[in-house]
Amino acid sequence: MQKKMMYSFPDDVLEHVFSFIQSDKDRNAVSAVCKLWYEIERWCRRKVFIGNCYAVSPRVVIKRFPEVRSIELKGKPHFADFNLVPDGWGGYVLPWIVEMAGAYPCLEEIRLKRMVVTDESLELIAKSFKNFKVLVLFSCEGFSTDGLAAIAAGCKNLRELDLRESEVDDLSGHWLTHFPETCTSLVSLNISCLGSDEVSFSALERLVGRCPNLKSLRLNRAVTLDKIANILRRAPQLVDFGTGNYASELPPDVLLNLAGAFSSCKELKSLSGFWDVVPAYLPALYSVCSRLTSLNLSYATIQNPEIIKLVSRCPSLQRLLVLDYIEDSGLEALASSCKDLQELRVFPSDPFGGEPHVSLTEQGLVTVSLGCPKLQSILYFCHRMTNAALVTIAQSCPNLTRFRLCIIEPKTADYLTLEPLDVGFGAIVEHCKDLRRLSLSGLLTDRVFEYIGTYAKKLEMLSVAFAGDSDLGLHHVLFGCESLRKLEIRDCPFGDKALLANAAKLETMRSLWMSSCTVSFGACKLLGQKMPRLNVEVIDETEPPDSRPESCPVEKFYIYRSVSGPRFDKPPFVWTMDEEGKIMH
Amino acid sequence: MPDMELQLGLALPTPNIMKGFDLNNHGLHHLKQTGCFSDKSKRSFDQAFGNFKQDRKTKTLLLWSGQPNEEEDHKDQKKTTFSAIDDNDEEEVEQVVGWPPIKTWRKKIFKQPNGAGGIENNRVADKEKSRSIYVKVKMEGVAITRKVDISLYLSYQTLTNSLIAMFSKDKKCGDDDYTRYILTYQDKEGDWLIAGDIPWQSFTRSVQRLKIIRNRD
Repeated sequence: MQKKMMYSFPDDVLEHVFSFIQSDKDRNAVSAVCKLWYEIERWCRRKVFIGNCYAVSPRVVIKRFPEVRSIELKGKPHFADFNLVPDGWGGYVLPWIVEMAGAYPCLEEIRLKRMVVTDESLELIAKSFKNFKVLVLFSCEGFSTDGLAAIAAGCKNLRELDLRESEVDDLSGHWLTHFPETCTSLVSLNISCLGSDEVSFSALERLVGRCPNLKSLRLNRAVTLDKIANILRRAPQLVDFGTGNYASELPPDVLLNLAGAFSSCKELKSLSGFWDVVPAYLPALYSVCSRLTSLNLSYATIQNPEIIKLVSRCPSLQRLLVLDYIEDSGLEALASSCKDLQELRVFPSDPFGGEPHVSLTEQGLVTVSLGCPKLQSILYFCHRMTNAALVTIAQSCPNLTRFRLCIIEPKTADYLTLEPLDVGFGAIVEHCKDLRRLSLSGLLTDRVFEYIGTYAKKLEMLSVAFAGDSDLGLHHVLFGCESLRKLEIRDCPFGDKALLANAAKLETMRSLWMSSCTVSFGACKLLGQKMPRLNVEVIDETEPPDSRPESCPVEKFYIYRSVSGPRFDKPPFVWTMDEEGKIMH
Repeated sequence: MPDMELQLGLALPTPNIMKGFDLNNHGLHHLKQTGCFSDKSKRSFDQAFGNFKQDRKTKTLLLWSGQPNEEEDHKDQKKTTFSAIDDNDEEEVEQVVGWPPIKTWRKKIFKQPNGAGGIENNRVADKEKSRSIYVKVKMEGVAITRKVDISLYLSYQTLTNSLIAMFSKDKKCGDDDYTRYILTYQDKEGDWLIAGDIPWQSFTRSVQRLKIIRNRD
């Protein structure tokens, strides 16, 4: 009786119901219920997220989801951020744009991360999608300001242009003049990554002035302090602002004007930028501090007491990015002032210096964890750590979802007991039951992986470097971490045994990266042979991997699941292990 | 162990700018292809030592493999346990690629246009303060890297005198007496050059780092 009722709903009713279901996971679940639901769902899915652009081909996506309006793609492995992936590895977006240009004329949003985007791709986007609204290029490269000019000129309804952390060939600041006078639709503009070329400032001012819905504006380093007041006065509705260069020689009245301009932005909640900060100009911000929920000082080379003065005025702060100049004393001030803190990132000011020249230790992080129990996300660079500190942090912040600790010197032990930090990280995974992301550092044995495999049941991403004693470590992780999607490992004594024993696990994950470990070429070949739904790619810049004995370790490899088989855009230094146990190129 | 006499050999100066400059009176230095580092280093640098000519227009370059800007020394050799790095105290230790895990563009935050590398904010709007130009100085065979404020010096001569004084306290095993050293610097483009080729003022604007290397004939 109930079954009959279900099928008696007309399709458009079901479709209407499905429109309330936004998350990919839920949508995937819906489409698995029955063929009818699969069909209805696929016609009304508007948003697609593809975590690995090589996991599926554009044609397959288009075939299944014909009416997509928004797509998000990720390309290179995460370790590409740290120069571990050679240039030319891949992640090209052009093939996707070409296919979508024909199939999705109504496409509105493209979000890309770690992909190679060319001016040709940008020009094609501008030409092909008449209602294009959102372009986010996160850590992308391969394009120039010419491509941006095409976007500016061609996308009449552009709402968002966000180039965060991308590498842009900055040929000319004049691309901004390509926004037509009729363009009033901008809501978000992030050009903070652009080089130090002159930005066409008058064009920027006019653009800002005619976009009444502009909520987020992040300028680049070339924009000087004296220009900021004018910008702010034209956009008092801003919620998120990234200053440019915060150093200048300002006469006192200009400084007052700047303070006034900031205070006129009643909605301002988020600040970033602050290159070359001169402490004397920080008081201009004081009027907005009480409203700030997000503050990014990670490019600002200010020290204490200026940092403390600023942070103590921000009781609503939820997110702070800062350099280690904040020191333990600044973190103490943070702990007592910012009880709503959810995210903290502390970056090193002198990462290659060896000896610490600032007084930032494990104590600072402990103090913050004790004072800010709402913390969810931590990224912390420091020089020393103890198990006791980690246990305290774990117990004080049970809501942690992301914990990334980088002790700068690899294999650093607990500096008080000289023991490995296994117990400390064990406490983190045991107490923080919702932990989704973890990065390890310091001296670690196989034991830490045993803890991780036992407790970290929600862990989705794990980064490991210079850790472990044997294959047992890798086995614990692959066997125990049920939710694991991304695993990246470098410089660990992990070899063939754990990998081969857990080969099936790899199909449940997005990807595995291993470099400078002891996995042999033979094992890679075997995996490629036995697991047709995995792409096993060996990266070797010196010579083909089969020019050496099979027992030789491969320097780098990247394994990912794919429904579309091996990719055809590989550079000469990448080899796929195919089903016949041969290497493909 | 007898004290060594440190002599920092510089490129022949341009006569009309550096009058009265003491030339190294041991004559020309010939830099050999094999360079100064022993073969024990697993990650040996690709060095190209050209022949140092009396013609001052010829630049002798030290080419380092990898990215010059990312090379740093590990001052505490005892802690070095990376599998890829030689434990030999006398060797230069090359930076481990991709560690610590910081995005490339973050490393560039501290590159001020005026040339100093890796120190606190030295750009001050206050006119009264003079601009310090701190650069790191590494001497081959010495574990500790030092820093000097280049703005305090007026010429190559005064700089080298100060460096000799700074490093003469360091004793090394296995060096002959009268080992000659060459002062090199890394310029804004990341190239390693022999100090003394360009006028002092240009040098102060260009220098990123200093390195004193042994010259073995």
